[in-house]
Amino acid sequence: MTITQILILAFLAILLGWLTRKRQRVNLLLTASVLIIFWLQPALPLRYLDFFLPTFSIGFTVLAWTLTASPEERYKKETKTSAAITLGIILLLAATRYLGLTNFLTPTRPPAIGQILLLLAIFTVGAFLLTRQRPSSSNTLLWAGFALLVAFFIILKTPALVLIASRGWRLFIGQNANLASSSDIHWLGYSYLAFRLIHTIRDRQSGRLPDLALGEYLTYVIFFPSFSVGPIDRAERFIKGLRQPENSYRDDILVGGQRLLLGLFKKFVIADSLAMIALNPLSSTQAQNSLGAWILLYAYTFQIFFDFSGYTDIAIGLAQFVGISLPENFMEPYRQPNLTLFWNNWHITLTQWFRSYFFNPFVRALRKSRKISAGMMILISQLATMILIGLWHGLTWNFLLWGLWHGLGLFVQNRWSGWAKVRIAEASISSRAQRILSIFGIMLTFNYIALGWVWFVIPDPVQGWQFILLLWGAA
Amino acid sequence: MSDMISTLNTFIADEILKQPGRTFAANEALISSGLIDSFSLMDLALFVEDTFGVQIDDTELNADTFDTLEALSEIIQSRS
Amino acid sequence: MSLKINPWRLLLKAGILFAAFNFAFTMLPTSSGNSVSLYNNLVPGRERLPFGENPTDAYNLSLFDIDAMFASHIISDGLKSENEYRVVIVGDSSVWGTLLRPEETLSGQLNALNLTNADGKNIQTYNLGYPTISLTKDLLVLEKAMEYKPDLVIWMLTLESLPADKQLTAPLVSHNPVRVRRLLADYELKLEFNSDALTHPTFWDTTLIGRRRSLADWSRLQFYGVMWGITGIDQLYPETYEPAKIDFEEDNLFHDWAPSELPLEELAFPVIGAAYSIAGNVPLILVNEPILISDGVYSDIRYNYFYPRWAYDQYRNVFSDMSLENDWVYYDYWDIIPVDEFTNSAVHLSVAGEEILADIISEMILFEAAR
Repeated sequence: MTITQILILAFLAILLGWLTRKRQRVNLLLTASVLIIFWLQPALPLRYLDFFLPTFSIGFTVLAWTLTASPEERYKKETKTSAAITLGIILLLAATRYLGLTNFLTPTRPPAIGQILLLLAIFTVGAFLLTRQRPSSSNTLLWAGFALLVAFFIILKTPALVLIASRGWRLFIGQNANLASSSDIHWLGYSYLAFRLIHTIRDRQSGRLPDLALGEYLTYVIFFPSFSVGPIDRAERFIKGLRQPENSYRDDILVGGQRLLLGLFKKFVIADSLAMIALNPLSSTQAQNSLGAWILLYAYTFQIFFDFSGYTDIAIGLAQFVGISLPENFMEPYRQPNLTLFWNNWHITLTQWFRSYFFNPFVRALRKSRKISAGMMILISQLATMILIGLWHGLTWNFLLWGLWHGLGLFVQNRWSGWAKVRIAEASISSRAQRILSIFGIMLTFNYIALGWVWFVIPDPVQGWQFILLLWGAA
Repeated sequence: MSDMISTLNTFIADEILKQPGRTFAANEALISSGLIDSFSLMDLALFVEDTFGVQIDDTELNADTFDTLEALSEIIQSRS
Repeated sequence: MSLKINPWRLLLKAGILFAAFNFAFTMLPTSSGNSVSLYNNLVPGRERLPFGENPTDAYNLSLFDIDAMFASHIISDGLKSENEYRVVIVGDSSVWGTLLRPEETLSGQLNALNLTNADGKNIQTYNLGYPTISLTKDLLVLEKAMEYKPDLVIWMLTLESLPADKQLTAPLVSHNPVRVRRLLADYELKLEFNSDALTHPTFWDTTLIGRRRSLADWSRLQFYGVMWGITGIDQLYPETYEPAKIDFEEDNLFHDWAPSELPLEELAFPVIGAAYSIAGNVPLILVNEPILISDGVYSDIRYNYFYPRWAYDQYRNVFSDMSLENDWVYYDYWDIIPVDEFTNSAVHLSVAGEEILADIISEMILFEAAR
């Protein structure tokens, strides 16, 4: 998001916060969020796709709601209102094609109204069919939805598959297929959308999902402050604030305003300055000596933190304006004395998500089977989790290595602390020695994380390895 | 209540931290402080399920749901 | 949670504070004569003045704050030592070194020769060239350079930098209206310069908001200094470039002027007189810089992209006559570089071309330094 977009959103959020304090809360926030996800979607070289992708985001969400909602929820009066609002706005946006208002609310000229009506009809019929599902098949359908979300995710994160998809779209829409590139498709917010939908699908399966009206569910998934940058809230937590703001409007404006300013400062002053000297694939080959290489690496290490946590502050601040407290995503991650605590405090909502829906079920299954040793179980589950988190950034070798780096780090740290815990307790060392040990731990952890970013930044692992050699003066 | 807390205390001290005899305040942070890691947390959940017959879901194994012995025992009581 | 703060009063207070802070800025001088800089402290000084249109890749940028530009240059590194004979070279992009690495430029190659003068002092050369062609721009740089106590000033120039309409449009000139107006006034440069290009700074321009561009430039210059220190890169070096033109249309115009006479009143020769006044006792040498002499289509009419033969020949004669008249020290090296040693412009030399030039200039320096 650009600073202009953020300021427009801030103005809008302050206005919405005031308007929605007492009534029409869900309807207005839903209206704003639907409009904004079209507005924020970047323009794409593939014709009309930048209109269809936000439409798909909404369509998927509606289908997921139909799958997860209880029958009573489905037939409530509000359902019709929310559906009417959503359809109405998409059609209104589509109409800008004919009103000479294009490029105002959508990135490019919307497709012809007939195509949009067809797509909306498909989603609507799909939703109706899903409501007629027999209860016996509902679990199968939930799994199918889960698989579909993961499949789209894999396509979007694999450069070779994006290229194929881009070719396909170009042939379908009548553009030159030879111009297809693996950077053609940027589906704004898809990965966070998928996380939220999978969360509701899995919680539905375990019977823990609260009842959500269509409007509430949609607003939760495409809520504009956190749509594209997180944090990933949990539905049951989110709807509390959606149904009833916790604080007074005045307090929300003050707290949110402070948070927004902090975020703007972190992102646009600190992070953007550090970006000028931060490691990137090109500068990694240009550094002339080890000292220079370390400066590049540390600059990147702080840049990615201030960039991401700055955006998170902005999201939290905007959400506060409309009376919703989003969860924290970063809590001093670089000041943690070990890697486990780093991951408890870095992109918290993402790691929580992976813990809830991958790590814990995986460990539970391994524990119950009792076929492998504790050490082996820890190694396997740490590696599997961290590799998955790595691959979430893209299905490429460098992200795999980054995941492996952290998985192994967590494993070694787990074994070490298991060994040291007993001995340190026995030695009952002085508090001063503990302080020194803790500072040493912070430095070690920080540098381990910083070195890990090498794999993250440099797409080619060979080039990444050469940069690591340069850091140690061995290149 | 205090029985339950002391049972949990003993399990955490003996089996998880391997520091028999260590005691925790009922409101001492166990998870957010890093005392109990994510593997031990699963052990704790399985122990609770076996001992008290109460299901703790995978999505609940975090400091937000319970961070202290007090909070854990409240969850157990509310479900048993 | 209830905070006993009224948001509207908070907003009002913040607004007042911001305004006060802005006005406080107007008290700060816009030009202090020196500039805080990371260069020559935490990061090495630049070997040429900052200039660049692709900051993120070249780790260099164009800015208009002459003090900050000099502060980033290696010439600002400490005081001149007793044992140094200091030579500064001013001029256009051919001195700055487009497509050349710092050590390949004229100054870089002169320094590699490790020259010493008759007293045994090390002859140290500084590259103070700056792209864009305008004598007035050179004069601005030269005036600032005099603060660094040069023993010899070499000014490389060419006809293209003389036309009056070129003088004030160079960005460095038009964005330094106060300095330029002072120079014009002090040295009575009453040429018919179009002074619309020079704006008068208003009060608002001196507030924080008004100065945001120059503050941002200053801070970017410092950050890119770190990258310069780490990589030694201060320019993009493309794999290929379009070579300077050697074939032309049948066109004998120079600017709007047709043969047969260059309108002398439209050329900025008085600026050279001003430069001599500024240099004072320090010897100032004028060098007519080498140009590409084409042998292609219509090369009987034009030497190169810039110059029809008639205009350039006249300029050389006029320059040489004026030098005699005014006691200027003038060297004419216009034709010493073979056509193959030009790169992407009729005044940009290849590494080998700069080597030829450095050999000749080094002899000239030794000769002038002995006078």
